[in-house]
Formats: sequence, structure tokens, C-alpha cells
Amino acid sequence: MSPVDRVAHLNRWRFRSLTEKTLLALGMLLLDITLPPFPVAIVVAVIMTLATLVGARAPVRVWLACAAGPTGFLLAGTLSLLLQIDAGGLSLAPDGLNAAARLAARSEAGLTCLLFLALTTPASDLIAGLRRLGLPAEITEITLLTYRFLFLLAETAAAMNNAQAARLGHIGMKRRLSSLGLLIANLLPRALDRARRLEVGLSARGWNGDMRVLSRRRVLSPTGLAAILLLEAGTAALGLLL
Amino acid sequence: MTTIVLEARDLTYAYPGGVAALSNLDLAVAKGRRLAILGPNGAGKTTLLLHLNGTLRPTSGHVLLEGRQTGYGRAALSAWRRQVGLVLQDADDQLFAASVAEDVSFGPLNLGLDDATARIRVEDALAALDLTDLGERPTHMLSFGQKKRVALAGAVAMAPDILLLDEPTAGLDHLGTRHLLAVLERLNQGGTTLVFSTHDVDLAYAFADDVALFDNGRVLAQGPAPDILADSNLLAKAQLRAPFLLEMGLKTKSLGLLGANAPLPRRPQDMLALLDRIAAQMDSGTVRPG
Repeated sequence: MSPVDRVAHLNRWRFRSLTEKTLLALGMLLLDITLPPFPVAIVVAVIMTLATLVGARAPVRVWLACAAGPTGFLLAGTLSLLLQIDAGGLSLAPDGLNAAARLAARSEAGLTCLLFLALTTPASDLIAGLRRLGLPAEITEITLLTYRFLFLLAETAAAMNNAQAARLGHIGMKRRLSSLGLLIANLLPRALDRARRLEVGLSARGWNGDMRVLSRRRVLSPTGLAAILLLEAGTAALGLLL
Repeated sequence: MTTIVLEARDLTYAYPGGVAALSNLDLAVAKGRRLAILGPNGAGKTTLLLHLNGTLRPTSGHVLLEGRQTGYGRAALSAWRRQVGLVLQDADDQLFAASVAEDVSFGPLNLGLDDATARIRVEDALAALDLTDLGERPTHMLSFGQKKRVALAGAVAMAPDILLLDEPTAGLDHLGTRHLLAVLERLNQGGTTLVFSTHDVDLAYAFADDVALFDNGRVLAQGPAPDILADSNLLAKAQLRAPFLLEMGLKTKSLGLLGANAPLPRRPQDMLALLDRIAAQMDSGTVRPG
């Protein structure tokens, strides 16, 4: 079970309506991309970070861990904007600082929007939402099954890995590689076998090719919706006026 | 007079590749009873259960549902599974949905129930298995015992007449087992016929009305649990031992501590009560220890 998934299921805003959460995250993302990054990106980043950490009470540790990877990429990317290579060799790019700062602010703000969504909304909720928006059932069902069995497969792989380590399968590079090969080779037949057994299990429950379940619809809160629209209008006004 | 609701006649099955799994097997399931299919690992118990709900089709022989030979067409299978539920040994083989309540709703919706009725079925099944608080929990965030209960809830929500359970207590701890048996007992009292496979003779003795002793793809004997389980020759053939409580009960009889016609205790608490009675009799001098 990944920490992101755990937080997505257990945060305080887990049961807020999907519409509210996506409207906030994607709306802010849109503003961040289209309006001048100063001040909009800053405002967006502050709002979305507060929403994630204070509103939904996602643990700071998990948030930082998730943000670290993309931020690293971002830093490497902005560094290349700062510098230029020409006949005279390596030098600071003209207006490089400005461009790098704008890019960094915009990207970081975008990241806070996506982190908000990832840490407050389980993947299965998002998929259910896409289905309501008209994505074909075949695609959403396969996505859901993949999502569910990813964890089982990861668990199996971890158990096999431990079993190999317990029998000294990881001593030395050569043995480690051959163990890894064995693990991957064994994972496929196991996955297929599991798929077959799942088919038995589902058909015992009357499965006829249609995977319908009762999902609880979250009630859209009018005040929540109003607050989100107000925040976004305010941010937009700030960006357009300044 | 007992009614036979589900029957296997002269069932033979070989897995693709030629490994014989069942050979000329006969089995009868009586309505409203609890039948234990008792046998060692690899005897073919799971294969038999998969025949009883039409997942596997016998190489030869028949399965009869309420006296009628079953068909293997789409409609026949669907009607069959409506009547006969199956809970697999590994709960992960039948849980697929994102949350517990969603998963349990899968079966009732497949029955063609409308959303409101299905919702009531889900709530009842979750309450029956003490899962109400876990309804919103994703299925991959459950413990082993909880997963087993959710899998059972998924079958219970479909309200089958006959419930097949493959090793229902395997891997469960003591409390989990007790809890599960209590649920099964309530279901059985509500009229559900239970068929479960197990290699646990003590469980079969304590919980089953009837036992089908199983070995090497055939039923060696079927009958009331105390009769079958007291036959040490039969048990030895199936590589099983006698239930401990049965041995103890027979010993108390042979020592003259229990009347020859008195019923034998089948649950630990009954045995303890019997020992208390014997101790009281010893105190009052009615019985003297040899």
C-alpha cells in the first residue's frame, strides 16, 4: 500500500464531492498556466498547499516526499535556462534569471495542484468520475482492475523477493541479477493464474461481463462550491489586474 | 425425510493435461444441513466445489440441482449460481472493487436487483459480518480475516439457498474462526444449506451435521458426522485422525463415566460441562475413579 494511496483514502476531505475537489485543483491549475506567474503562481501555490496540509490534513512528510522528486527535475530544468553555451563558452543567459524564476514558480504551483488531487482523492474515485463523464465502461473497468491488482502483484513480488533474500539469493551482483530474472519470470504465470482464479470468483457471484457496483455519490456542498469559485475568481482578478 | 437439493452422480473429472482429480464421485447435499467435505490436502475438495456451482464441467457424470440435471448454458449457469453461492479459499480471488461496500454490491446487482434493494442487501450483509464500519475501506487495506469476511459478505448479500465454502477457516486465528462459525450458524438457522471443505476433523465434528469423507478424488463415505468420524478405519484411509473430543467422549464412555446411550459432547464447552458433572458426581460418591 503506497503512502499516497493511504493518505488519499484517510484524509479529512476524502468524502468531499469529487466535483469540488477537481474544480479546485484543475481550476487553479488552469489559472496558474494561463495568467502571469507573479503573483498568480505564488497565490495558487499558497492556497493549494494550505488546502492540502491544513484543509485535508495530509501529513507534511508525505507531501514533501511526493514533491521532492518533481522539484528535483524542475531544478535541473531551470538551471539550464539560467546558463547558455555559445562561442565564448558557458555564461549566464541574458534574462535567464527572470525566465527561470517564472518557470519554477509556475511549475511548482502546478505541482501543488496535482498533489492536492493525488493526496485527497483515491484513484478509484477519479476513475468513477471519469466514467460519469462518459469514458467507456471497458476502459474504466480495466483501469480499476489494474489499480486493484497492482497492489496484489507488488505484494507477491515483495514476498518472493524476501523469500529469495532469505535463501541468500541476493549475494553478489551475478546472483542478484539471476534472482531478479527468476522473480520476473515467475510473476507472469502467477499473475495469469490469479486472473483465472478471479474469473472463477467473479462468475460465482453472477458476473455477466458487466462490472456494476453501487458507489456512494458524495453530496456537493453549495458553500464549498461557492468558496472555491470565489477563491478562483479572486485569484484570476489578481492576475488580470496586477 | 430430508430433501436432497444438490447432488453429484458418478462425477469424473481430469484436469487438462490428464491429471485425474475426481473419479466416479457420488455426493448428496441435504437441504438445510451443514455438510463438511473432509479430506487431506490435494484430495480434490476444491475441484468438487467448483463442480457444484458449474465452474468446472465434469468429464463424465452429472450434477443435479433439486433433482434436475444442470445445464451449462449461459442462462442455466446464471440460475444455478443464483441458487448456489461459492466463497473461495483465497479472498483476494474474488474481491476486486475499490471499496468494501462496492464489492459486496457486485453480486446483488448481478441478480438484477434495483439499486435501493441492492443497497439494503449490502447493508444487511455488512451488518451480519460485523463490517459496517469498514464499508468505505478500500479492499486492499484490509487484514486477512477482514478480507475473508468481505468475501463471505459478497456471497451472503446474494442470499443463496446453498452456500459452498472452500476451507472457510483456513488461516484464520481463533477469534476469527469463532466469529465466522457464529455467522455461518446464523445463516444455517435462517435456512441456508452449508457445504464446506476442510481438513480439520475437529471443526467438522464440532460444526457439521454430515460429513463426506474424501480421498483421492472420491467420497469414501458420507453420513452423520459422529458416525463417520468414529470409524477409525475409514479415517485412516483418508489420512485423517479422529477428532480429539470424540476420542475423549468415547473414553469417558468406556470408563463408565458416561452412559452408553448418552450423546457425546461435540463442542469444547460441552466436554467441560461433562467433566464438571463427573467431578460433582465423584464428590458426592456416585462415581469412583478406578
